[in-house]
Amino acid sequence: MSVGYALTGARRSFVRAAVVALAMLALPRAALAGDASAWLTRAATAARQLNYVGTIVYQHGAYSETSRLVHLYDLGEEFDKLVNLDGPAREVIRSHGEVRCFYPDAKVVRVEPRTFRNAFPSVSPQQQKALAEFYEFRKAETARVAGLETQAWVFEPKDGLRYGHKFWTDIATGLIVKARVVDERNGVLEQFAFSEVAIGAKIDRDMVKPTYPPTPSGWRVRRSGQAEADSKDTGWTATRIPPGFVKIVDGFRRVQGTRQVAHLVYSDGLVAVSVFVEPGGGAPHPGGFSAQNGLNVFSRQVDENVVTVLGQVPAVTLRQIANSVARR
Amino acid sequence: MREHISRLMDGDLDDAECDAACRDLKATDAVAVWVSYHMIGDALRRSGSPMPGFAARFAARLDTEPTVLAPMPRQSNRLPLAWAVAATVAAVMVVGWAAVSTLDPQPTAVARAREAATVRSAPGNPQSVSPDYLLAHQEFSPTTQIQGVGPYLRPVSSGAPDARP
Repeated sequence: MSVGYALTGARRSFVRAAVVALAMLALPRAALAGDASAWLTRAATAARQLNYVGTIVYQHGAYSETSRLVHLYDLGEEFDKLVNLDGPAREVIRSHGEVRCFYPDAKVVRVEPRTFRNAFPSVSPQQQKALAEFYEFRKAETARVAGLETQAWVFEPKDGLRYGHKFWTDIATGLIVKARVVDERNGVLEQFAFSEVAIGAKIDRDMVKPTYPPTPSGWRVRRSGQAEADSKDTGWTATRIPPGFVKIVDGFRRVQGTRQVAHLVYSDGLVAVSVFVEPGGGAPHPGGFSAQNGLNVFSRQVDENVVTVLGQVPAVTLRQIANSVARR
Repeated sequence: MREHISRLMDGDLDDAECDAACRDLKATDAVAVWVSYHMIGDALRRSGSPMPGFAARFAARLDTEPTVLAPMPRQSNRLPLAWAVAATVAAVMVVGWAAVSTLDPQPTAVARAREAATVRSAPGNPQSVSPDYLLAHQEFSPTTQIQGVGPYLRPVSSGAPDARP
């Protein structure tokens, strides 16, 4: 009896050891799946909570533009000032979640009110699964960027429906100092990179103050509507969403003060695709593809409406989504 | 199947449909549809030669060819028309089959085709998107959350002619 009991015990401990061994074998993969979202959370926290000031070079296609960026995290709030240094002056001010874009040459200020989304997003379990299933996330080489020692990270797509993404983070603080999007032949589609940056610099409120008053006299104000606050069913849907994409927004948005536009957003945890449905009524829309400021755009006419789909994904992905947009 | 082949030729299929259509092309009758659609397309565009009188000329040429494998006296000087047509159809099928079977089944070929479609339509730039759309899109992109305010350069970038408010 005691022998039998001992055997059972031995078997039990063997089974336990086997389970542990199997779990350890499976661990690297499982850890990788969690890694991607944990890494995103770390990077977002660094971008939000650190203070930094630097010069950022933005490239898309053959075009490149240099800007000055100041970020302050103060009493749980983010303050940003982004001023371009080439071409007509542009200034982006983000404070208390509201974004204001100043166009002094055109005397226009564009206002994007605060939305719930400004609070840090958590990657949903569904999106975590998509990240692991549709991207291979890995640690790449170490490199020097903007005079800093950095670690490169790669999100390599496993299908032709996504682009590849590479990020370089400052080893000391975790801040992303360079970000690149590549196509399937490793061609660079878009890149943001600091040419110099001071992380942890002492920044006061004056450094993030807008150059212009909030609404300069004689300027036109273009205020976007609160799409999310009154987020409701738009009656529109895309029936053929590429695998891994999950709908994260479905609501109406006011564009240029007057028109009501349905706005749906689908995300795979790393990138988002926006679908806008705007009532037309005018001349038939020509539709088709275009690439604009680092984003791909595809539009088509559906009855009296113009459907515009845009995002940082290959054209084929946009077309698949756009061609399936229909009334529910 | 016919509709899929037609849309495949027009570059209108998405990823999954494209794969399915390429699988269909392994069937002989699908290849025949593919070949005939291309002939119709060529004829409509007047780009290819529909080759009028091809069957007759083919029969005449065949007639003059020495018969190597079967040196038997011929029963007839002229090949019956039905045989000539059958031979033509077979020849077209073989050519079509060869063309299809040499198609690179690797995703790179599909990707290249897609890229070509994109490049072709890009210069037209049929419309520019309102910066309102770019701005609205911006905050929902997870990459914006990890890159801070930098990506807001997209809606305001003065590089694109459409970036004007």
